[in-house]
Amino acid sequence: MKVNKEEIGENKVKLEVEIEEERVEDALDEAYKKVVKKVDIDGFRKGKVPRTLLEKRYGEEVLHKDALDILIQQGYYEAVQEADIEPIDQPEITDAHIQGGEPATFTAEVEVKPDVELGNYTELEVEPEEVTVEAEDIEQELEAKRQEHAQLVGVDREVVEEGDFVTIDYEGYVDGETFEGGSAEDYNLEIGSESFVPGFEEQLTGVEVGAETTVEITFPENYQSDDLAGEDAEFEVKVKDIKRKEVPELDDEFAKDLGFETLDELKSDIEEDLAAEAEEKADRAYENQLVEAAVENAEVDVPEVMVEEEIDNMLEGQKMQMQQQGFDFDEYLEMTGMDEEALRDNFRGQAAERTKSNLVLEAIAEEEGIEVTEEEIDEKVEEIAKNQGQDQDPEQIKAFLQMQGQLDQLKDGLQMEKTMEFLKDNN
Amino acid sequence: MNLRDVIIEPHISEKTMMDMEENNWYTFKVALNSNKSQIKDAVEDIFDVTVKKVTTCRMPGKKRRLRYNEGTTAEWKKARVKLSEDDNIEIFEGV
Repeated sequence: MKVNKEEIGENKVKLEVEIEEERVEDALDEAYKKVVKKVDIDGFRKGKVPRTLLEKRYGEEVLHKDALDILIQQGYYEAVQEADIEPIDQPEITDAHIQGGEPATFTAEVEVKPDVELGNYTELEVEPEEVTVEAEDIEQELEAKRQEHAQLVGVDREVVEEGDFVTIDYEGYVDGETFEGGSAEDYNLEIGSESFVPGFEEQLTGVEVGAETTVEITFPENYQSDDLAGEDAEFEVKVKDIKRKEVPELDDEFAKDLGFETLDELKSDIEEDLAAEAEEKADRAYENQLVEAAVENAEVDVPEVMVEEEIDNMLEGQKMQMQQQGFDFDEYLEMTGMDEEALRDNFRGQAAERTKSNLVLEAIAEEEGIEVTEEEIDEKVEEIAKNQGQDQDPEQIKAFLQMQGQLDQLKDGLQMEKTMEFLKDNN
Repeated sequence: MNLRDVIIEPHISEKTMMDMEENNWYTFKVALNSNKSQIKDAVEDIFDVTVKKVTTCRMPGKKRRLRYNEGTTAEWKKARVKLSEDDNIEIFEGV
């Protein structure tokens, strides 16, 4: 096989491929075997028509198309290997020529991965952020924990005040008629939580327990139900009970409830949690800054095809995520009033960024000879197996991944991680 | 009888193709009233080959029925012609 490689334009390569006669003959034979099954000629059973007769009757061209398909598929793949290029798109095949007894030729034009001109990436002026946990944050966390464990306690007070939890029955009327969702019994409402229509809760303050009162409100213009938006409504409300939220005292008792010995222990646990969280956040920010800086110093032309592919990936991810949350993708589109095209446009900028940094990271990995070993892959697979459950056999998972073609992705991901480590170590 | 009226068409099927490739026997559909020597002359004249042997047989028509009307397809005559080793008839491979 002869391959003539020629670079045309940016990131585009033209391959002129010539395939020997013997292989052409093989391909023709294979094509005949495929075609003959469908040919029906008097005097012959299906699939039994001799090749000579077939070619004489329908012309030699009958086999050419199928043979070319076979040849191009094999030939292109081999040509790519031989020319040592990394295509990122489907090739455009032109000038395909085939004739029995002659070498077959075709030309393939394909976009390849762009060359990355790496700039400086080891002495970037990026420093990891110092992580400190403020006492204030701990207080806040403690307070949140207290609120979580608050209990509703009855109060002996006759009048509703702001911040109370009241149990009410209510029935609403618009123009003297009840409407859907306008009534309830034994409803627990926090006064001041603003979970009801504005004005409702305020008008309940000062009402006595056991008393009935009428609340007059106007639904806001942007109310979720179109029928009610902007309408005046009257509610007959009966207050049945008043309760107040009681937060537990901040003492060792409270700590014990949460499974700690003392309050100090609880505090130090919270501090640890916060520190770990902050550290992870800082670490990620540091990584991002490193990549950003490295990308800035490098020079890449990001091909459109790769961006589109990345957008596809992102869209796919979004769909998957939505499915897991029980949303329908089409419904989501309808809700946000976007079509798929608009969504793609939304993703475009981000996708371009990602593609670019991926390219740069890849180039760095190549430059530094960072490679992923078989053992590392096995390790990762084992980890996945562990996460999926106890009965999973790592070997099986590996085979499954390979079947789905995800093993390469896994490998790429690991390489990224290692490159990231390298960047961190060398800055 | 005119030599051109003797041979009607080559008879091509899986069986005759095999016969042709392996033993150089060529099979024709011929006129019902032709005889072996006429077939030999006709084949030699038209295809410019040497005929070594001719065998013939009459193929009876098959019974066919359309509604209640019974009938038969036409009877015809088949002739197998053995050519000398270095001869062949191109037209067979094309029709």
